[in-house]
Amino acid sequence: MKAELFIAARQLWHRKMLNGISVLGVMLGVLMLIAITGIMRGMQTRFLGTILEVSPHIVVYDQTLATPRTVVDTLLGGISVTHVSRQASSDRQQQFARPRETLAAIRTLDGVTAVAPLVVGSAVMSVGSKELPVEMRGIEPMVQDIVTPMRAWIVRGSLTDLNAAGDGVMVGQQLADLLGVTIGDNVTCASARGVPVSMRVVVLFSSGITALDKGRVYVASRLAQTILGRGDAIDRIEIRLANPDDAPAITARIEALFGYDGESWQTTNASMLSVFVQQNLITGLMIGAVLMVGGFGILSIQIMIVVEKRRDIALLKSVGYSSRNVLTIFLVEGIVVAVVGAILGSIGGHFLLLGMRQIKSVSGMGFNKPSTFAIYEAPIVYVLAFVFSISVGLLAGFVPAWRASRVEPVDVLRGS
Amino acid sequence: MAASVAPPRVEGTPALEARQVVRDLGDEVKTRILHGIDLTVAAGEFVSLTGPSGSGKSTLLYLLGALDRPTSGEVFVDGIATAKLSTAERDALRGERLGFVFQFHFLLPEFTAVENVMIPLLHRRDVRQADAHAQALAVLATLEMREFANRRPNQLSGGQQQRVSIARAIVHRPKILFADEPTGNLDSKAGLAVMEIFEKFVRDDAMTIVMVTHESSYAARAQREVKMLDGKIAEILVPTHKAA
Repeated sequence: MKAELFIAARQLWHRKMLNGISVLGVMLGVLMLIAITGIMRGMQTRFLGTILEVSPHIVVYDQTLATPRTVVDTLLGGISVTHVSRQASSDRQQQFARPRETLAAIRTLDGVTAVAPLVVGSAVMSVGSKELPVEMRGIEPMVQDIVTPMRAWIVRGSLTDLNAAGDGVMVGQQLADLLGVTIGDNVTCASARGVPVSMRVVVLFSSGITALDKGRVYVASRLAQTILGRGDAIDRIEIRLANPDDAPAITARIEALFGYDGESWQTTNASMLSVFVQQNLITGLMIGAVLMVGGFGILSIQIMIVVEKRRDIALLKSVGYSSRNVLTIFLVEGIVVAVVGAILGSIGGHFLLLGMRQIKSVSGMGFNKPSTFAIYEAPIVYVLAFVFSISVGLLAGFVPAWRASRVEPVDVLRGS
Repeated sequence: MAASVAPPRVEGTPALEARQVVRDLGDEVKTRILHGIDLTVAAGEFVSLTGPSGSGKSTLLYLLGALDRPTSGEVFVDGIATAKLSTAERDALRGERLGFVFQFHFLLPEFTAVENVMIPLLHRRDVRQADAHAQALAVLATLEMREFANRRPNQLSGGQQQRVSIARAIVHRPKILFADEPTGNLDSKAGLAVMEIFEKFVRDDAMTIVMVTHESSYAARAQREVKMLDGKIAEILVPTHKAA
C-alpha cells in the first residue's frame, strides 16, 4: 500500500489546480449539506420544541369511542342495537363518567409524568365598550404548569396569584393591549350558556405564539365552569410524558383502557410534520444533487488524468505493478479528494452556521418573538457528510481507476 | 563481421526461449506481425534485434518480456512458460526478474530521479521505503548519476534521463534486461555510454540483455545480432570479434 499512497500523493500534489477544482466541488456539496441541514433541522427542532413545550403530549377528549354493549345487545347475541339520535351541545353533560378517578388512573400509567384536567370554551371578554372573543381555558394552574409549562411565558404576575385569586384571569399581553387593560384591572367575561363574571387581571403572559397571545385567557377551572355553564364537568385531560415519542403508544393504551378519544401531539401536528417530511425530502434531493455534481467533478477530472497518464501507467505495469496496484492508486486519489473536500466543507459549514447564529430573524409559522436563526449542529451531520462524500469519491473515482487498471502496457508502448 | 545462421550452443536453462511464436494484431482485420518465431537466448547473453520498421522486432521484445501474449506458440522466460500465465502472474514475473529500458525513458515527471528509480522496489512488501531509497541512490551512483538524484526529469539532459531509466530498470536486480531502442533519442556520446553500461552489466553481473536497435554499430556490440524481416528472423549474426 505504501507505493500506491506514495504515488497517489505525489500525483495529487503535482496536479494541484485540477484536483483543487475537484476538492472545491466536494467542499461545496458538504458545505451545502451542513448548512441546509443546520437551517432546516434547526427550524424544525425549534418548532417541535416549542410545540412540545406549549402543548400537551396527549389530549384525552370527553368523547367515547364506541357505544358500550348493553344488556339487550348481550341477550340478542350477535345482533347489535344502536340508538341513533342527534345530540345537541346542550345535552353534553360530563362525558367523563368519573373524571377524578380517570385522572388518577391515567397518572399511574408508565411514561406519564403529569395529568391536568381542563375546561375549554368560547367566551367574550369585555372592558367598557370593547369586546373581544377569547378561548377560555379553565385550569388548575400549578398542575397545568407541569403539563404545559407556562411559567416562562409570564410577563407580569405569577401562577400563584392565579391559583390564589378566586376571580383572577391570566391574559395574553397582546390581548391586554387590545383591551387596554393591565394587572389589577377588571374585565367581564360571558358565554352563551353561563353566567357573566367580573374578573381581575392577575397575570400577563407572552408565549411568542400570536394566536395564543391575542386570543386565549386562563382562569381557575371552577371559574371557567361557572362562566361556560358546565357545572362540574371537565372537557379534556392533558397529559405530559417522560418521552414525547411514546405519545402514540400511550394514546392507544388510554383509548383501550378507558374508551375515550385520545390524540397524540403527532396527530395534532400531523400536517406540519408531513410538511417537515417533504422539506427533508427536498433538502435531501438538493444536497444529493450538489454532491453528485461534486462527484462528476472528480469523475471527469480523474478520467482526464488517467488519459493523460496512460504512458506512466504502462510504465508502472511494465515494472511489475499489478492492475490492483494501479486501481488502488487512482481510487486513493478519488478518496483523498473527497476527504479533503469533506474536511474543508465541514470547516466552512461550521463557520457558516456560526455566522448564521448571529443573524436576527423573526421565525414564521405563528411565532412572533424575534430571535436568531435556529441552527441544528450535531456530530452526526458531519459524520454523514464524510460518509456521503467518501462514497461519492469512491463511486466517482472507481470508473477512472478501473479504466486505468485496464491499460495494457503493450498497447501504450506500441503507440509511443 | 561474420554471419551465422545457426544459433549458438545453449548451456543449461536458457534465459529466454520463443517456440513457434505467432502474433496477430487487429480485431476484425487481423494482421500477422510475427510468423512462427523460434529463438533461444542463453543466460548472460547480450542479443540485439535489428531490422527495418515493421519487421516485428519490438513486438518480439514485448513477447519475450511478458508484456504481451502470443497468438500462438510459447515463450519461456527463465524456464517459465508465459503464454498461459494470468495477468497478475505476468506482472509479478516482470517485477521480480525483468527490467525494461525504453526509447522514451518514461520517467514519471512528478518524481525526482531517485524516486523514479525507487518505484520498482516500492510495491514490494519486503522492501522498506528507506531501503528502497538507499538502493536507488547506490544504483544511481554506479551510473555516475548520484549528484542528480534529487532533480526532476525535466531538469536532466536526454542522456541523464536515459541513465536514470536504466537505473530504474536494474534497481531490483533483474536477471534479464530488455531495451527498446535505448539510444534512439541520444547523441552518439550518450548512446555510446549506454552501450558501455550494458556491456558492463553482461560482463560483471552476467545479466541477459535483449536490445532492439536501428544502429548497426551498437547492434554489432552484442554477442548475437538477430536480423528480422517481415515478421521472421532473416538471419542471426555473430560479430567476428565475439565469435572469436
